[in-house]
Amino acid sequence: MKFTRHKKYLLQVCKKVDRDLDSPTCKKLREHLKKCPDCAAYYDSLKKTIALYRNYDIEYKGSCCKEVLARIELEKALRATPARKTRPRGSRRS
Amino acid sequence: MGSLLDDDVKLIASAKTGDKIAFGKLIRKYEKTVFSFAFKICRDKEKAEEAMQETFINAYRGLKSFSGNSKFSTWLYRIATNNCLMMHRKKSHEPVVSLEDTELIRENGELQVPHWGETPHDAILNKELKEILDHAIQKLPLEYRIVFVMRDVEGLSTEEVGKALKLSVPAVKSRLHRARLFLRNELNPYFTK
Repeated sequence: MKFTRHKKYLLQVCKKVDRDLDSPTCKKLREHLKKCPDCAAYYDSLKKTIALYRNYDIEYKGSCCKEVLARIELEKALRATPARKTRPRGSRRS
Repeated sequence: MGSLLDDDVKLIASAKTGDKIAFGKLIRKYEKTVFSFAFKICRDKEKAEEAMQETFINAYRGLKSFSGNSKFSTWLYRIATNNCLMMHRKKSHEPVVSLEDTELIRENGELQVPHWGETPHDAILNKELKEILDHAIQKLPLEYRIVFVMRDVEGLSTEEVGKALKLSVPAVKSRLHRARLFLRNELNPYFTK
């Protein structure tokens, strides 16, 4: 079958892959998917792509709270401390 | 602050006055979310931890500018995104990849859609598959990757993604569309073996 005949549906498939196909706005697409195994396979592969990435997570077991608050404190302390005057290079103490 | 949770409203108000205990509570509440998001963008545990810490430091510095018009988490997503982008720009020379979807069409113009077999369910992704997923998404330019992760993986609405990234809704939709196609095409050989 020619790609151009299905292009419209394939674009819709990609746009609506995260939506409920039972909604009235998806009626035509739903009907097409029932009749067209290629578009249905495409829809299925897009759904699976999203599901795979959704399921791939990594758990953070620690806590960065102490480090972050310590850095905030340090920044505050540095701001509160007046900058030391530095002598220009080569100058000598009198 | 209609879109904020009551708890957050109180904690943010206290943290704005310099209450570190309140800010600590906000960190504990959102650190897993921020880490998970940063990992999905950076695909590296250490970089994700660095991005998470910087996100909370920047959030503290900018807390007074947080108006409460969006969810606190959406605001954190925006800061985390900026940190990931900065880290990425410092270290990488991203190769140019084409996001055009041409894999479906044979030379004679006919449609060709290979059927995918069963994909692993839920949390049982093996090491090989994780590497394939990492490799595919790392090839996706960062501005597309961020939209895909926010919208499809983290489940933010198109409008929320637009707000967080300062993009129009059509721009979010366009990037999402291209990102989905790109990733699907990258994974296609693995599932149609």
